[in-house]
Amino acid sequence: MNNRLMVQEGQLLAIFNSGHRVMKAENLLKSHNICILLIPAPRQLQTDCGLAIRFNEQDRDTVMSVLEQNELLPEFISRYSSAEFVTIWKHNQTL
Amino acid sequence: MQTVDCRKMDCPAPVISVKKALETDTELTVLLDDGAPRENVIRFVKNRGFQVTEKNENNYWTITISPTGNFEKTAVRVSADHDQVILITSDKLGEGPEELGKLLMRNLIHTLVEVETLPSKIFFMNSGVSLTCEGSELLEAMEKLANLGVEIFSCGLCLDFFGLKDKLRIGNTTNMLTTAESLLSTTKVIKL
Repeated sequence: MNNRLMVQEGQLLAIFNSGHRVMKAENLLKSHNICILLIPAPRQLQTDCGLAIRFNEQDRDTVMSVLEQNELLPEFISRYSSAEFVTIWKHNQTL
Repeated sequence: MQTVDCRKMDCPAPVISVKKALETDTELTVLLDDGAPRENVIRFVKNRGFQVTEKNENNYWTITISPTGNFEKTAVRVSADHDQVILITSDKLGEGPEELGKLLMRNLIHTLVEVETLPSKIFFMNSGVSLTCEGSELLEAMEKLANLGVEIFSCGLCLDFFGLKDKLRIGNTTNMLTTAESLLSTTKVIKL
């Protein structure tokens, strides 16, 4: 694990394009008792609002379902794997 | 050569002890438990331009720390960031909506983990002490900072005022004397 990153191997980051949306999404996911952390988006994934929601693979389906039901789907989702961020999902696109 | 016995210490105490010893000596022998204490100390000193030799002593490790060839260059950087102290007096950053202020403060502390130049100390006062206590979402980031050699202090009077004395989860409690001495003995204080 890179000691200077707030993401561990295998964890996922949901990247949003607006501060309001990311804050809403954070509150919503917390209210569902999902283990998440709002962190600055890593340099490699710089975004408009510069924030990302970190979560674990096992919570992926729940996270996506809660966000979809509330029309708060992120711009894209990246997985931190072997010291790289790999985009695994994009809004309105199939990878 | 000075010997620093860090056995039976919990993280980040070994890193802090080694950091303090390196302020007066550039060569040290350090006794360490295996696992996180050994890994954190080795990472810390290597980042600061030292080389390390290790010896396994049955149930602990002896590591010898000495400067490398490019030590002078890195020593300058260490000395430059050694001077910087951050004073955080609120759980929010700046004036404005509370929700945004709290978000910005969290964002800042998380970002510090990634930046090249670290402060030597961070002092938390007033409502800022809630950030170092149980329930804070910044504990993971602050543990990383502590393991990178950043000393974290929370105001004891403030912890007492908010009923958080037993809830402190990272760093140490401090008093106004220590805080004032640190603020006055450094050339650069960043107040947030």
